[in-house]
Amino acid sequence: MNQITKLGYVDNKLGAPNDGQQTTRILFNTIEAPGTTSTLVFFKNFQGLTNGQTNLTSNKLATMESMVIKTIMLTQFATDGTLQNFGNRKQQTVSIIVGNQTVVKNLPIQFNTGENGQAFDRLHTNAGATIGIFGANTPTKQIMMPIEIRLLTDIVIPPQVEFEVRVESTQADYGTGAVVCALSGYGKIFSAGNTF
Amino acid sequence: MTAQDKILYVANKLGLTSLQNMQASTGAVYDVDTEASGQIFSNATRHVNPSVANIADNQFEVNEALLIETVGFYGRIADSQGTLAGFVNNLQTTYGSNFVIVYDIIIGNKRVQKDTPVFGSGSPYCFATNAIRLTNFEEDPNDLVFAPRHQVYSEAVGILIPPQVQFYVEYRLFNVVTGAQIPISVDAQIGCYLYGTKVLLNFNTSI
Repeated sequence: MNQITKLGYVDNKLGAPNDGQQTTRILFNTIEAPGTTSTLVFFKNFQGLTNGQTNLTSNKLATMESMVIKTIMLTQFATDGTLQNFGNRKQQTVSIIVGNQTVVKNLPIQFNTGENGQAFDRLHTNAGATIGIFGANTPTKQIMMPIEIRLLTDIVIPPQVEFEVRVESTQADYGTGAVVCALSGYGKIFSAGNTF
Repeated sequence: MTAQDKILYVANKLGLTSLQNMQASTGAVYDVDTEASGQIFSNATRHVNPSVANIADNQFEVNEALLIETVGFYGRIADSQGTLAGFVNNLQTTYGSNFVIVYDIIIGNKRVQKDTPVFGSGSPYCFATNAIRLTNFEEDPNDLVFAPRHQVYSEAVGILIPPQVQFYVEYRLFNVVTGAQIPISVDAQIGCYLYGTKVLLNFNTSI
């Protein structure tokens, strides 16, 4: 079952409309100045964020919108915009909760930084270097990659169902800049089939 | 559904009966927002070909179409910038890792991709952000510096731009850390390409 079939199947099961505009959807949410903490919750707080920090206004998709999550991306920036190791290279896990259901549970993420080169999938190369050995990391000279994990199953976010992404660790340091989570995959957006 | 199936499916829905007889190909269209207007392709008619754009108008002619499978953003150094004028570069070199482009694709009156982010540090695709390694960087001899890809690969099949329907990309540029909007520079211009399966006009009878 591919992404299109799966989304159609779930929408149908839930009685959601099935005739929206098919598209590629990337949802993202930013947490500013997260500091040192054991839990980050993305897609929970939208207060004060601009369109450059999130493309949602609440933690659910609109009526007639749905999507399949295929890729999770996690990025950490310093205040000057330099890309950082997510969580300062401490081991962390990610969970995705849709409605009342945990659909990804405690998946370890730290292997998947470009710097570590132990990514789950074969296509994510051993990229990146430790800061300080091959020169400084700057906003315009990137020597590592964000964390990215390609999911092996198609996880659906149906219309009007709350969801969140939780990252857990033992007091990881996320700095004073910002952390960003993006979820991408095949989706549907509202499309008026007839003239209004 | 393959790319060609999707093209024929949409063509059938739109009543384009002759599209199936045209030449299937691979293609990409590009344009640069030289006016810093926040729109790409809508001013293509005024842009130099091929230095700035490779289309004369923001619509395809009769029986030509493009199935968008990849959207990419890049930088172009303005013609006023001396010896570097017209150079294509990676956006990170101008706007840093923390920029984010948030764009929409509009075909006809319909927004077919909405509020899609492209991150300066690379977009969320395992395949895409493996990046290119730059060696012997002149001003910074760092052989592990990356030039991240600023692309969005279509999940599933892609989106068709049908013949003779206007299309454009609308974008805004932000600092993802502060949330502030970054002014679009006319010197460090932003360009976009749409790549995918193309349909080319093909005369089946001699003319």
